Amino acid sequence: MVPEADLFLRVEHLSHSFGGFKAVDDCTFEIARGSISALIGPNGAGKSTAVGLIAGALKVQSGRVYFDGQDVTRLPAYKVARRGLLRTYQVSREFPLLTVMENLLVPPPDQRGESLLNALFRPSVGRRQDAALASRAVDVLETYGLLPLRDEYAGNLSGGEKRLLELARAEMANPKFMLLDEPMAGINPALIARLDGHIRRLRDQAGITFLLVEHNLDVVERICDQVVVMASGRTLAEGSMAELRRNPEVVRAYLGGGLDERAVG
Amino acid sequence: MDLILPYLATLAIFFFVYNILTWGLNIQFGYAGVLDFTFITFVACGAYFSGVFALGPGQKSTGFEWILGLNWPFPIALVMGALAAGLLGIVIGLIAINRLRSDYMAIVTLATGTVIYGLVSNYTPLFDGFDGLAGLQTPFSQWLNINYNQFTYLWVGFCAVVMVICWFIAQRILNSPLGRTMRAIREDQEAAEAFGKDSVRVRLIAMSMGAVLAGVGGALLMGFIGAFNPAGWTSGETFVVWAALIVGGRGNNWGGVVGSFVVAVLVNEATRYIPPIPGNATLIPTVRNMLIGASLIAVLWLRPEGIIPEARRRFYQLPLLPGRRTPAEGVGGAGS
Repeated sequence: MVPEADLFLRVEHLSHSFGGFKAVDDCTFEIARGSISALIGPNGAGKSTAVGLIAGALKVQSGRVYFDGQDVTRLPAYKVARRGLLRTYQVSREFPLLTVMENLLVPPPDQRGESLLNALFRPSVGRRQDAALASRAVDVLETYGLLPLRDEYAGNLSGGEKRLLELARAEMANPKFMLLDEPMAGINPALIARLDGHIRRLRDQAGITFLLVEHNLDVVERICDQVVVMASGRTLAEGSMAELRRNPEVVRAYLGGGLDERAVG
Repeated sequence: MDLILPYLATLAIFFFVYNILTWGLNIQFGYAGVLDFTFITFVACGAYFSGVFALGPGQKSTGFEWILGLNWPFPIALVMGALAAGLLGIVIGLIAINRLRSDYMAIVTLATGTVIYGLVSNYTPLFDGFDGLAGLQTPFSQWLNINYNQFTYLWVGFCAVVMVICWFIAQRILNSPLGRTMRAIREDQEAAEAFGKDSVRVRLIAMSMGAVLAGVGGALLMGFIGAFNPAGWTSGETFVVWAALIVGGRGNNWGGVVGSFVVAVLVNEATRYIPPIPGNATLIPTVRNMLIGASLIAVLWLRPEGIIPEARRRFYQLPLLPGRRTPAEGVGGAGS
């Protein structure tokens, strides 16, 4: 249990079925403010469904989601995002026909140039805000080593570059909480080190709380404070990686099962 | 000369009007990815409403009946027609966009348009049913004493002015953060929502602004021809505008200009003045439709992004500082 004062995200008895299949079944867990946590579990455990439910991309059928002290269960995805909870996807979801630079200029909240009246009659409002956002975006791109690619179509980036873009884009939105669905999927070890460096930097400098869905247990062990294990739609256990390695149930369901999940991630 | 000049002037009017229509559809589909398969309904809405605002009252006893009939000056009637189309855009948008995605949305727009077509052509108190509106006094004739040819030239100028205004509307939206968000939603609606973008609101704006331009184009046709009836807005007309946009290139308004010139003016309108071939009256219209279809297929095969593709935006003039890496070096170790 996370102490009340540190509680940032609380998922309570969440259930969700697709047709007759219970993807998430009475799932409950808590995430502490400022932590880097992981959500692990075998394929089909309901992790991505849980992410979709928390972020409002899927309609919650039963259960509750509390974020930053407020009930966000019924909010649509864009409103959850505006509260500061940002999610990324298992496959990169860049805007392919927008340049890398434009991809970074879409996420920032409260853009006054998005109002029709400003767009039509006061274009300078949007331009001025854009200039400020663009100079910030340059810094962010520099940090991720993507600056030389700023005018490239995002769809033309390599798989690894898209992963970096995903995080850079999320950083531009000034979130309080990032829900990353397999951010390390399909990338090489050198880049994994860079990505987890960025995650730690964002936590330490910007105070962003992280929840990672991750199959790479080395990464989880290295950067995560707390781990939630899911299996068959339920929370199986919570705790540090070291505690979970001693938990026979977890070992049977995930760590030492017949299928080596580390190879899947 | 007496024939050629008015002919060219007429073509110019169609060119300008189709530019406006193509930009309207571009705002909906090219910017925001809304599949509007009933675009011509908004054109008709603009034509009808500008008509009933500019016409005198309809009288049931004479066999002409329509709503309103306010005798307003045509320029104001045009604005009303555009607003009416914009409102209809919001209504159809709410039905189609609110709950549905892509192809389902397209079917719903088509279905809604068909319902409206049936209603307008059968319920005579609205716009005189299948007979439609007729007898509109030539715009500006209450102020100017001009013959019909002079009016045609005047209308070329009027359409040009309106077209320039529409160009600025379309360009300003495209180049604003609003336009960028529309394009992001077109590329990936879910991801845009995950960044806090209200995709329904943004798509409704695109739908209604596109409909406004459609309404402006419809009103300009109404003012030029002086009559409008259901034969002028069958669903096939929607696909002329679609073909123009796809052939010319979506996502940028110059593409719309090229497409409207090639498809709408050269193929669709210019060929209407070729005298019918004796003994085979339907040959020319048939060949015309085949040409539109063929140009669409040719572009989709050879140059799917259109004759003028969407421009890549490099509007951030950030000279690379000395010591910064060049694009050629790329991002090391970031292979897929």
